[in-house]
Amino acid sequence: MLTGVVFDIKEFAVHDGPGVRVTVFLKGCPLRCSWCHNPEGLSPRPQVMRGAAGERVAGQVFTSTELAARLNNQAGLLRAGEGGVTFSGGEPLAQAEFVAEVMDQLDNIHVVLDTSGHAEGAAFRLVASKASVVFLDLKLADPDQHRYHTGANNARILQNLRLLGGLGVPFVIRVPLIPGVTDTEANLSGIAHLIAGVPGLQRVDLLPYNRAAGAKYAACGQVFQPSFDQSRPSNPNAACLEPAGVEVRVL
Amino acid sequence: MNATANNLTAADPRCDTTAPAITSSTRFCVPAPGRHFELEPRLAQMKQSLRDGYYKRFRTSPAVDVLAECEAERLSWAQRVARLTHRMCEAQQAVIRPEEQIVFTQTTTGLPRIYDDAQTRALTSGSRLHELGPISNICADWGMVLEQGLARRREVALATRARMKDDPDAVEFLDCAVETIDAVLDLASRYAAEARRLGRLDLAQILHEVPAYRPRTFHEALQALRFCHAALWISGHYHCGLGRFDQYMWPYLEADVASGRLDVPGAEHLLAEFFLSLNKDSDLYPGIQQGDNGQSLMLGGVTRDNRPAVNPLTRSVLRVARGVAMIDPKINLRMTKDTGLDLLELAAQLTEIGLGFPQYSNDDVVIPGLIAHGYEPEDARDYTVAACWEFCIPGRGMEVVNIGAVSMPAAVDTALREGLAAGDSFAGILGRVDANMRLQVARLVGSYARLFLPPAPYYSVLMDGCLERGRDLSHGLRYNNYGIHGACSSNAADALAAVKKFVFDEKGVPAQRLLDALATNYEPDEPLRRKLAEDAPKVGNNDDAADAMLVKLFDLFADACEAIPNNGRSGIIRPGSGSAMYYVWLARGHCGMIEPAVGAMADGRKAGGLFSSSLAPSHGVRVRGPLSVLQSYAKLDYRRICNGGPLTIELSDTVFRNPEAVHQVALLIRLFAYVGCQQLQINTLNVETLKDAKRHPERHRNLVVRVWGWSGYFCELDEVYQDQIIGRHTYGE
Repeated sequence: MLTGVVFDIKEFAVHDGPGVRVTVFLKGCPLRCSWCHNPEGLSPRPQVMRGAAGERVAGQVFTSTELAARLNNQAGLLRAGEGGVTFSGGEPLAQAEFVAEVMDQLDNIHVVLDTSGHAEGAAFRLVASKASVVFLDLKLADPDQHRYHTGANNARILQNLRLLGGLGVPFVIRVPLIPGVTDTEANLSGIAHLIAGVPGLQRVDLLPYNRAAGAKYAACGQVFQPSFDQSRPSNPNAACLEPAGVEVRVL
Repeated sequence: MNATANNLTAADPRCDTTAPAITSSTRFCVPAPGRHFELEPRLAQMKQSLRDGYYKRFRTSPAVDVLAECEAERLSWAQRVARLTHRMCEAQQAVIRPEEQIVFTQTTTGLPRIYDDAQTRALTSGSRLHELGPISNICADWGMVLEQGLARRREVALATRARMKDDPDAVEFLDCAVETIDAVLDLASRYAAEARRLGRLDLAQILHEVPAYRPRTFHEALQALRFCHAALWISGHYHCGLGRFDQYMWPYLEADVASGRLDVPGAEHLLAEFFLSLNKDSDLYPGIQQGDNGQSLMLGGVTRDNRPAVNPLTRSVLRVARGVAMIDPKINLRMTKDTGLDLLELAAQLTEIGLGFPQYSNDDVVIPGLIAHGYEPEDARDYTVAACWEFCIPGRGMEVVNIGAVSMPAAVDTALREGLAAGDSFAGILGRVDANMRLQVARLVGSYARLFLPPAPYYSVLMDGCLERGRDLSHGLRYNNYGIHGACSSNAADALAAVKKFVFDEKGVPAQRLLDALATNYEPDEPLRRKLAEDAPKVGNNDDAADAMLVKLFDLFADACEAIPNNGRSGIIRPGSGSAMYYVWLARGHCGMIEPAVGAMADGRKAGGLFSSSLAPSHGVRVRGPLSVLQSYAKLDYRRICNGGPLTIELSDTVFRNPEAVHQVALLIRLFAYVGCQQLQINTLNVETLKDAKRHPERHRNLVVRVWGWSGYFCELDEVYQDQIIGRHTYGE
């Protein structure tokens, strides 16, 4: 049986899918987006966070059975709440086999996979094929910009996007609106053209940048170094996404 | 009315045929009907004036003095109360402002004495009064009052008087009742005269009809209610409930709509003005702080004969309350797990704006609980709530729903300190908790054994059967129960759970070490405090070890209340789960309070630490989230806790960034009923905003928060209440 590392389990997460949901945040991520607001999700190992309120450890180890049991304990509530579980993080596909094993033990619960898509195709297929819905976070259409701001280019992500189209799993594209970086007309139009016509695309969610993003870095012993101007408001330019042909929602 | 893009054709003379054709992609600038209710400019201005205190300038009536004439005429208590109503109504100067369509502005301040201190002491020696003395915190049968009109009530009084002419008490009471009715009718006719004088024939018409006769329109019904309700306040009563407003008001609105006299938007503007009027004089009303005045209004539920009660007015009240956004009236909604999501979404839209409205009550739990405690099924189905959350029956309850609290922290703390020192087993400690609770209940009930309820002739007019039977309300009605808050339960349960785990089960903490730490407020033993605070089971995380203690505490409390067969007025003692202001008082003490406060507790809480609000996890503990909270609190047997008390949940306002969130919050509210909890107080706040409001109150004058069973302006609260709110668990980002 596999084990995995989780840094948070959040109840009643309203931005992570439909209905009343619990979001499991898997620890560890292959990307290093400069705007990340969960720095404790970057490293795959449990770590100490030191804040004004004292110390705590971020990252708890679960066996797949333990995590499934914890989630199943609320299965009835989640079903009655027309919701379910969302696997997010960090990057859930960095622990794809663990996540898949947990999903196999869930008791008839709706599952959202919230992923950057930056993963091996096999890992992506393994988990996405079990999900009820996939949230795919597309940040930048241009590969060089993608590498500059996140540490990797978007080739795997776009491959997995095509793979997703062939899986028949409904999906939502999520774009974090980072001022001057992802919210430009060029980028949003670029994304629109990348996703237009992919089977299963339900809608695009635009996520305005969260100014509190830098808050947890000090507690992790890291420094928040955004590659963008935090003081600018992000521009939810939904019109640029019209070529995608789907509903655009601004959260 | 919406114009569509294709209204204009080329043949229409209004259409310029040289202009490009209008296609379906062109849109006219006709706004769609507003999704939310918004105050029209007249009312927005009225609200601003209210907040600025504009109507206070009319409080120029000379001080009313009734003591002299009461003495000179040697009036009885009942006659003095009637005379008070009489003179206070008389003293009101008719104020009609051009912007008003619903009138009455209180022009007196203060309440005259009807006895001096020495007389009061003499009259009440051997007994006691409740709070300020006059009957409060009950609910009139407003439906009956409106339907009959005060002129008919007067006829009823006189008919009974004739029938009971040989019963001097009945005659005296009925004469008093008539005096009060005449006073209110006189007030209305002076307002009618003033309306005529000002050329406001629209108002004069209304004021000639109501409150004397049955209203002919929704507008008249609102005006009637305003007068009759305001007359209660100036008679010295307080926490005057508004009851099942959507039930008794709907027939008048329905008739208006059916006859085409009024449409729903027009009705909502009148409703908004009525709501504003409840905020006009409320700074004069008694309460712990401004806002705690008990103008509670109930929506929804089922009818007395068990049919669904939701009607269009239910929805309009929710919409209008959102648009008015003031701290009165306090909106409550009855629902079940089967309530339609569309209604819950409308309610969630009100929850969104942070007033703490509505407070939700689950009929599937409340009604059987009331029936199990002796309420007739029809009455149980007719329940409303008192000032905070306590269930009461309109027109039929002379209940004192808040005689005090059982300090659950003190019951546990005393049992632990004494039990551990004596080497008790854990079962022995629980036995001491039981004994202490019974002691506290007995002390409270004993202190209320000789409760004196002063005569209330005007309130009696508004209740069921008083005029018909010739007996003042103060002699009792169908229901005469008392209620006790079971306060600050989560810390108490956590303390028991911590001791059971560390001292008894794991035996890792010697009893003496804990006793020493409690005696010294943990000063020399912070590691122990942290262990208790962080590693012990906590209520709210669906942890059976902690939740079992919570269940036990409420079982013991209910047992203690059940052991009292008669509260002295042929009523029972109803245990509740609210904490009201005890979440501060039990932590810091309060002058004159008989409930025991506590110092450091075995859950790791240091002396002075504030308790959580009603049913909520202890402050400062790590909680998993609102679903776990629901699971924990679902374990209580609410049918026994029939005085009421809400599960209290705070959401961060960032939850509502997502347009879908209203739907999700509605689902969460439905879950509360699905798991079988009793009442829900779900509030929306932003902790950073609250902290800023402490630093810069002038920037946040209109910021409203839910305090406990009432909402108030944050910047007007005492600092300790502000801190308690800031310290609450908040779910969301």
